[in-house]
Amino acid sequence: MNDQPESLNGFAAGAPGGSKPGAAGARRKILIVDDSETVLLVERAFLSRSYDVVTARNGQEGVDKAVAERPDLILMDVVMPRLNGFDAVSRLRSHPATKRIPVIMVTTRGELDNVESGYRSGCNDYLTKPFHGPELLAKVKGCLGE
Amino acid sequence: MSENGPLGAAEKVLSSAHRHGHGLREVNEKLADLVSSLRDQKERLARYSPAGAPPASGGPAEAPPGTGAPARPLGAELALAREAMELARREHEEIRERLAEIQEANRRLCEEYAALQDQNSDLVNLYVAVQRLYGAADRADVLAAIQEIVANLVGSEELAVFELSGDGNRLVPAHAFGVEPPDPREIAVGSGTVGRVAAEGVAFVADEADAAARPDPPHLTACIPLELGGRVRGALAIYGLLGHKSSLGSLDRELLALLQKHAARALRASALGERTEAGLGEGAWSG
Repeated sequence: MNDQPESLNGFAAGAPGGSKPGAAGARRKILIVDDSETVLLVERAFLSRSYDVVTARNGQEGVDKAVAERPDLILMDVVMPRLNGFDAVSRLRSHPATKRIPVIMVTTRGELDNVESGYRSGCNDYLTKPFHGPELLAKVKGCLGE
Repeated sequence: MSENGPLGAAEKVLSSAHRHGHGLREVNEKLADLVSSLRDQKERLARYSPAGAPPASGGPAEAPPGTGAPARPLGAELALAREAMELARREHEEIRERLAEIQEANRRLCEEYAALQDQNSDLVNLYVAVQRLYGAADRADVLAAIQEIVANLVGSEELAVFELSGDGNRLVPAHAFGVEPPDPREIAVGSGTVGRVAAEGVAFVADEADAAARPDPPHLTACIPLELGGRVRGALAIYGLLGHKSSLGSLDRELLALLQKHAARALRASALGERTEAGLGEGAWSG
């Protein structure tokens, strides 16, 4: 993801200045956890104008980066290698440093039992793929209280 | 009494005085009338002065206490109040009309903004799809990109990519995802919906197809030819959509059109790259 062309960053972000700065005026940070390069590119494109974005390619890496980066919000895929999204969220909730970070599940699994599993694991919201950019931004802003 | 004696003279004086007295009385009376007339005129002028108007009915309104201003008649007050009310009503109406215009403009702008956001979102998806196809390092990566585009951007986890055989008579499965064996199977060009798409070079989308023309296989949602240099080089078959997705939308059709024009080119580019690196023979995507 680091070699992504700069031109794509923030290409599709919503209204300018949409992010409310956190402490010390810093931009808020969002961690995207997904094993799909396509999804990482799309989500980064929508979010990077207003937020700092970090990425992880599987559930375990997502948990590790959440502890290290302390993001303000996590977008979590479900079906991933090493550790799936449900288990990753459960681990985040049991870790003192990450238990309060809001998590949005972003997945192709839209079936009711999957949605319920997501909420049981501790996620705050649920978004099914494919999604519209404005829909993603609305969920993100909602979780961040913007 | 003699007219020429002192008595006569006195009588003349008296008579003259009497005449003068009578004249003076008349003049005095006329002056009194004039003074009376002037007073009436003065009163009328006072009533018609700029400080007031003749009363329509009733007496004059009381002057504001302590102002010392002349009293304003009630009729004038009423007329002024009515005029002020009419002015206020017109202003209120104008403001209401202006507000309605602003609300309408705001509604239009909101709609335009939402449409732009949707358009922006669609462009991002198309941009990312192109970037994934041409950013892929090798053939497997291109096929994975096609799968990701279909799964995450279109909304299907049941798909198969077919390549045209060297003799051009068969579609050979190159990649499949979410398709139960023994599918995908080799398909003769012209046979079934996928075979016809490859033969005719015309995409099939179930939603758009004639109701009488049922797809074969029946659960096929869409099939597009993969074109390169004006020739069909393969086909992409999309079977069932994700459970929460009921049909293909305009963006999905755009993405399928993009894959139709660019997937084969990306596969060829990857094949050329691999051949250059490894010295392997040509495949379906070269030449």
